[in-house]
Amino acid sequence: MKPTHTAVRQGIRDTFPLFVPAIPFSFVFGLVVANSGIAPLLGWSSTPIMFGGAAQVTLLTLLGQGASVAAATTAALVVTARHLLYSVTLAPRFQNQPRWFRWVGPYLLIDQVFALTLINRDQDPKVFRAYYLASGFTFWLLWMMATGVGLFVGPALPVEWGLKFSAPVMFIGILAVSVSSWEKVLVAGISAGLTVLFAGLPNKMGLLVASLMAICVALILELRKR
Amino acid sequence: MAILLAGLGTYAMRAVFIVALAKQRFPPLALHLLEYVGPAVMGGLVVAMLSTPEGAVEIGLPELAGLASAAFVAAKTRNQVWSLVTGMTIYWVLRALVG
Repeated sequence: MKPTHTAVRQGIRDTFPLFVPAIPFSFVFGLVVANSGIAPLLGWSSTPIMFGGAAQVTLLTLLGQGASVAAATTAALVVTARHLLYSVTLAPRFQNQPRWFRWVGPYLLIDQVFALTLINRDQDPKVFRAYYLASGFTFWLLWMMATGVGLFVGPALPVEWGLKFSAPVMFIGILAVSVSSWEKVLVAGISAGLTVLFAGLPNKMGLLVASLMAICVALILELRKR
Repeated sequence: MAILLAGLGTYAMRAVFIVALAKQRFPPLALHLLEYVGPAVMGGLVVAMLSTPEGAVEIGLPELAGLASAAFVAAKTRNQVWSLVTGMTIYWVLRALVG
């Protein structure tokens, strides 16, 4: 089998466990749309247009509460500002890629796809591209369907059933596999600690502040090695 | 309208560096530093996912034990499915016991 075919299969296979936490989230999404008073189809259109769970929920919640377009949009963008960091991180790996992929790739760049690129560091550009597109579009397709189903199921379900916890569990698992040195473990730990400290900041700004500060610590560590 | 704006915004944030730095040479220090972005964001993200919009961090014994066991299994087996199953099982069991 060609390596790109293997990469496609691997990408699809790796996506399914990552999607488990997104299922309860899609119910939350459905509930938010129902409570916002926005037409269900219009609310759902945020899935193909934005393709980012937390940003969609933030935007629609605020719009439902009567926030202005500018305020709701700003808040949604602040919530997902960590994607700026993903974009920088992946920029070197997109350099030896065709131009179309540099434009299509970012559309699929969600937390989960970024996380997968951390554990699959295949250097061959074709294999990377095949893997990235396969996992990205698998997640995309599943999220399209789940948010559609969520519109109907979400309002009918009790929210608290403990499956939400699978999201942090999933990400700590990926983190544990991707950290390759004690310095990275330290930086991840510092970032987690600072996020607790800054949890009170609005719009999940704490995550961004904590990540940036942890990266500053990484800079000091790297400079000391020289 | 707001959905379109936010959609453009999220795409722009994801694309900006990938597109803008397509031809730029990265200095070695920058490349090394980028290695740390993933761990930093993921570490913070785990905590952010456990906090409420009001800023309360909801991490008790079941959460800590679930996260620790998931990280341990993932590091040992490099298998995400086992890591998820272990973390969730320990979390559910402890939550039922502790209440």
